[in-house]
Amino acid sequence: MKKDSSLLAWGLLFPTLLVLGCFVIYPALQSFVLSFQDVEPFSKQSFFIGFENYMVLFRSPDYWQSLRVTFFFLVMTVIPSLLLSLAIAITLDANPFFQNFLRTLFLLPVAISSSMAAMLWIFIYNPTAGFLNYILDVMGIQGPNWLADPDYALVAIAVATVWKEIGFNIIFFLAGLTAIPTELKEAAELDGASPRQRLFYVVLPLLSPTLFFVSVVSVINSLQSFGQIHILTAGGPMGESTTLVYNLYRDAFVKFRTGLASSEAVVLFILIMGATVFQFRMAKKRVHYG
Amino acid sequence: MANVEITKVRKCFGNVEVLHEISLSIQTGEFVVLVGPSGCGKSTLLRMVAGLDVPTSGTIAIDSEIVNSMPPKLRGVAMVFQNYALYPHMTVRQNLSFGLKLAKVDSLEIKKRVLESSEILGIQDHLDKKPGQLSGGQKQRVAMGRAMVRQPKVFLFDEPLSNLDAQLRVKMRTELSLLHRRVQATSIYVTHDQVEAMTLADRIAVMYQGKLEQVGKPLELYQNPKTKFVASFIGTPSMNFIEGEILTKLKPPKGSVCGGFRPESTFLSEEGAPAKLFLGKGRVVLVEPLGAMAYVHVSLAGQTVIIEAKSEVFPKNEDPVSVWIDPTKIFFFQDNGNRL
Ligand SMILES: Nc1ncnc2c1ncn2[C@@H]1O[C@H](COP(=O)(O)OP(=O)(O)O)[C@@H](O)[C@H]1O
Ligand SMILES: [Mg+2]
Repeated sequence: MKKDSSLLAWGLLFPTLLVLGCFVIYPALQSFVLSFQDVEPFSKQSFFIGFENYMVLFRSPDYWQSLRVTFFFLVMTVIPSLLLSLAIAITLDANPFFQNFLRTLFLLPVAISSSMAAMLWIFIYNPTAGFLNYILDVMGIQGPNWLADPDYALVAIAVATVWKEIGFNIIFFLAGLTAIPTELKEAAELDGASPRQRLFYVVLPLLSPTLFFVSVVSVINSLQSFGQIHILTAGGPMGESTTLVYNLYRDAFVKFRTGLASSEAVVLFILIMGATVFQFRMAKKRVHYG
Repeated sequence: MANVEITKVRKCFGNVEVLHEISLSIQTGEFVVLVGPSGCGKSTLLRMVAGLDVPTSGTIAIDSEIVNSMPPKLRGVAMVFQNYALYPHMTVRQNLSFGLKLAKVDSLEIKKRVLESSEILGIQDHLDKKPGQLSGGQKQRVAMGRAMVRQPKVFLFDEPLSNLDAQLRVKMRTELSLLHRRVQATSIYVTHDQVEAMTLADRIAVMYQGKLEQVGKPLELYQNPKTKFVASFIGTPSMNFIEGEILTKLKPPKGSVCGGFRPESTFLSEEGAPAKLFLGKGRVVLVEPLGAMAYVHVSLAGQTVIIEAKSEVFPKNEDPVSVWIDPTKIFFFQDNGNRL
């Protein structure tokens, strides 16, 4: 009986495990192995070279630059997108009148493919014909060449990224807010809490599981951003928008340095893992489940 | 402590008027129960006293001050919600002291009050637990404690016992009654349970379809109901009603009337009470023995009436029985539901 049911369980899991195994676990292990090898781009021959790839990485100023860029990109996307979507969700939650319409509006960018979205932003950021500089011009400000200016390129991509992802967060925050019983807010009101105090002492603590989930997903998404960078700046100008992922892409598929790219993938994996573990640690004390 | 004066209060949600000109005055220290079937507007009225809703017209005064547009925190009211509404992320102690902290009450004073009320309610051992770790009854006590520590002018209760099981409900009802005797705070208590109303109230206000049907002391409502609804709502089992016409020549009312009598005013034999009136012969449909007595459902002239049988031997199903009634205990109601 017991054997039967565990057999059934494995049977049911098999298709999923097969797909995961072929397309996730095997390649992941493979790149881990490759990260210790030197792969000849044309003969595909490979030699074990120990930590040499990692040494090359950490000696490369470009790599450190891409780490720095990734960190700034992370901060410039995750924090504004969390704060903005939270603020919008709280506003929508309090004003159910427009909620359906506005929710759809904010969700629209999520539904557009990332290349479409990036094309849209290319038009907006165009230094001469773009909408943004037109507006600035009307106000008497000379707008920069957003995507070609080393000072602004990363910010410009971050803005486009936040715009694209905010709707996803709003949906989750709205669902979390809706799940908070009205009586709790009313009880707090009777207890003498101002709207601000209700937000900070009742609503946000009760929203913390959602906040936690959304921030973990946002951090991972941000660290893995690729499409918009590729289309908007291709990592330029002067590497100012070359993130870890973009650097990895170039090493792997432009320069064909498979071994090096694999070690970058491993480092990225460790970073994402670390960020997530850190968030889980932080959450332990601050997230209140039910 | 304070009195509450509700004057001609109406409440509309959109085009729907759910409360029609309600007037009710509650004395200082009085325990008034708003009772009525679900959906009749009890919670809405209570929420307007709390300040969570605004009356469409009319006034609400607490302590002789009109509070219609005063925010809840300035009204000096505390409310106990049906599903407790405890803050799940705070400990019991934090739940109790939250309001006091916001009001910037001195921390020693907070400590004292939390201890005091938690001792009264018997939750002093659970102060460091979260609501999720408490039983229904304990949560209920914490919810009451949260109201008590604030020492409000008026206590508001919205069906506070209806999420408890029957046994605990009876126990908490008794405790609440004793508590009120001790604290003597002005209280408005909403329930759909007439037994709760009868046992707790100094005065009961019976509501039906957004109107106040009758306000009075519990026994007054039982013995002297002004409308058919009050007669049917107060008392278990419910009053029996028989439709018919009055055939006397003295002052025949227009239209049909309805005669109502309680199960305890009926008899299955002629002995005992004075001046019994023979109601008719019927057949037993159902017997509900409760020990010392039984409720006997009798089918009589096409209607079923419930009779309280006090004898040692109860009739059985399908038995033919004769029903007598105490004629002084019959209430007559007009078509519109008013007492004749
Ligand atoms: N916020 C609201 N919007 C619209 N209708 C409401 C609202 N609150 C209550 N009602 C309606 O008002 C009536 C009275 O409700 P309520 O006061 O909750 O009844 P009770 O507490 O006696 O069960 C009901 O018909 C209910 O549907
Ligand atoms: Mg109600």
